[in-house]
Amino acid sequence: MAEMWINMGPQHPMTHGLWNLRIKVDGETIVDAEPEVGYLHRGIEKICENRTYTQILPIADRLCYGAALSWNHLYCRTIEDLMGLEVPERGQYLRVAALEMQRIASHLMWLAAYAADLGMMIGFIYAMRDREIFIDLLQAMSGSRLTYNYCRIGGVAHDAPPDFERDSLRACDYIEKKIEEYYDLYEGSKVFMMRNVGIGKLSKEDAMNLGVTGPPLRASGVRYDLRKDVPYESYDAIDFQPITHPDGDCYARYRVRMEEMLESCKIIRQAVTKMPKGKWRIVAPRNGPVGTGLGRVEDPRGEGMMYAVGDGTDRPYRLKIRSPIFVTVSAAKHMLVGYKVADVVAIMGGLDMCIGETDR
Amino acid sequence: MTEKETPTLGQVIAFKSKDFLKWSDEVMEGVMRRSPVGSGLDFLTRDFFNWATRNSIYPLHFGIMCCALEMAVASAPRFDAQRFGVIYRSTPRQCDVLLVNGPVSKKLKPALRRLYDQMPGPKWVIAMGECAISGGPFYSSYSIVPGVDQFIPVDIYIPGCPARPEALIDGFLKLQKLIKENKKGLLTGR
Amino acid sequence: MENTKGSPGEGIERPPMNVGGGSAEERVIRALIDGFPQTVTDFRKVRDGFLRAKIERRNLYKACKMLRDQLGFEHISMITAVEYEDRFELVYHIACYGSCLLLELITTTPKDDPSVDSVAEIWGGANWQERESYDLMGIRFNNHPKLERILLPKDFMFHPLRKSYKEGP
Repeated sequence: MAEMWINMGPQHPMTHGLWNLRIKVDGETIVDAEPEVGYLHRGIEKICENRTYTQILPIADRLCYGAALSWNHLYCRTIEDLMGLEVPERGQYLRVAALEMQRIASHLMWLAAYAADLGMMIGFIYAMRDREIFIDLLQAMSGSRLTYNYCRIGGVAHDAPPDFERDSLRACDYIEKKIEEYYDLYEGSKVFMMRNVGIGKLSKEDAMNLGVTGPPLRASGVRYDLRKDVPYESYDAIDFQPITHPDGDCYARYRVRMEEMLESCKIIRQAVTKMPKGKWRIVAPRNGPVGTGLGRVEDPRGEGMMYAVGDGTDRPYRLKIRSPIFVTVSAAKHMLVGYKVADVVAIMGGLDMCIGETDR
Repeated sequence: MTEKETPTLGQVIAFKSKDFLKWSDEVMEGVMRRSPVGSGLDFLTRDFFNWATRNSIYPLHFGIMCCALEMAVASAPRFDAQRFGVIYRSTPRQCDVLLVNGPVSKKLKPALRRLYDQMPGPKWVIAMGECAISGGPFYSSYSIVPGVDQFIPVDIYIPGCPARPEALIDGFLKLQKLIKENKKGLLTGR
Repeated sequence: MENTKGSPGEGIERPPMNVGGGSAEERVIRALIDGFPQTVTDFRKVRDGFLRAKIERRNLYKACKMLRDQLGFEHISMITAVEYEDRFELVYHIACYGSCLLLELITTTPKDDPSVDSVAEIWGGANWQERESYDLMGIRFNNHPKLERILLPKDFMFHPLRKSYKEGP
């Protein structure tokens, strides 16, 4: 049979962002796969060595623009660990509420792109419409639609806007009703189920060994969620459950993300009602101490980490960023081999790739 | 071009196919471009084709970075760019507009130039967002080309970081105005 | 194929966390000290569940193999390369899902020979991270299956994250 290498990308409707997937096909079946990244490399780690600690805040936003607040928060946690700062409680609860809203917005963006790829344009329209509600909430908190720059080193930038509690509870009620509708819409569609069930299986041992984290790991049956197991901010005072699914296929990943949105609604409700009064920010010193700091959070796409080395000045000596998708996409070969070319869209779409953080 | 003797009927029938194509090209060019038939047709249809072109701008499905999300939102229900005739096409052969919405890295530069060359004319380029205009927050990076107009001619610049969807739709409307002001006939090109 | 909400401990065996206060951490420290008596130094417990140790680079591969096979560290989180004035440091963050531990292993290499054994055979997740360290910082990993540039174009001549490479305007 004729075996050949095919380039899917860098300009391809399937690839959200710029990356190239080279697959070796034998007829219609995939025999080998090799992702190529690097088209969006901006050299952020080098740029950060020439900027002060506060000047890096907006740049950290633009690492993964689908979940910008999460990276902003991760950078703040890293520098707070380096400087040894403690965020006041109101700031922690505000961060948790904003992060979970960002998680819902990010998962809705994934759902919109996933549905559009699989041919269900109605999924795109509905998910984008509902995402606007959370974008509006976050815009009221921070002032921007996409790159929020809401967290500061030592807290958050502004207090909650007026009527924040009422609006967030209304948004949570609304989205919970809509997700029930989406279950009907997607799982009632035989084509959607055929394209997802049993496709792209990743076993538990493979997922753990290859460094896959986040929803694809939990969809393979491993119950590991950094918010629960290594709690940060005020997640230990909030009651929620990580979602897992025993199969490792595309349907499991879709299901994990949908249910995570429902869990996030629960978290937002608790965070918004339990928020104490008080200060939401402390002033951080200008110069960082000599030493290292580590931040480790549960990004909507997996486990994000940052490692900062300080040298006593007001600029970091080295800032290293661990992106979850960079490692998850290196496991593409294990998920793709044996399936057909038409399944590539469902499998790679289910990983929710954001190339901004892959290439940095 | 030298004046050729018009061949007789006998000679036309006896042409080889390659020569026939060359002869018919020259005849059509003579009729369309250089005779009053071409400019007459253009005079009648120029406004109509221009109206059709500016109300059906097809950008390329090409998202680079954050402004690409705002580009996607611009075709979502809230802002709805489709009511202006803007539909995204996946292949550059069917597009009018190349919408560059993010920083262009040195690895991407040849690919982007090739995409621009693959688009058939008339074509326009919109630079959306600070990164495409001048490099944006990453202007000092070792792997970014500071501004896409260093290797591609740009018609419309849309500032913002990221540019709001309303700004993108305003950019499309400005492009429509630009197309209306530069009316060109399809046959003669004038 | 119904979705099961995970109950605590589903999917992985977890040793009981609060028995003996930090017993999992003590097991790890004891195993590392016993296995590599002279070369593992400078143990520190930074926080609950976060350990830090230094190791010499010739024993790195064996130590990582022991961590994965006997102590149950299934996941390598991050491989960082830092350049100081007199040395290169490689920082490995290795995580254990079962007992929620994070171990930070630091190796140093001399400035003129930045090379270390690759752990890509032990953990598949280390493959691309090592390629990235090679691409941006120039650290060579011995026995790596495919040590090539990954983020920069293939014909780029420098290693940009080194301090000797100055940025543009």
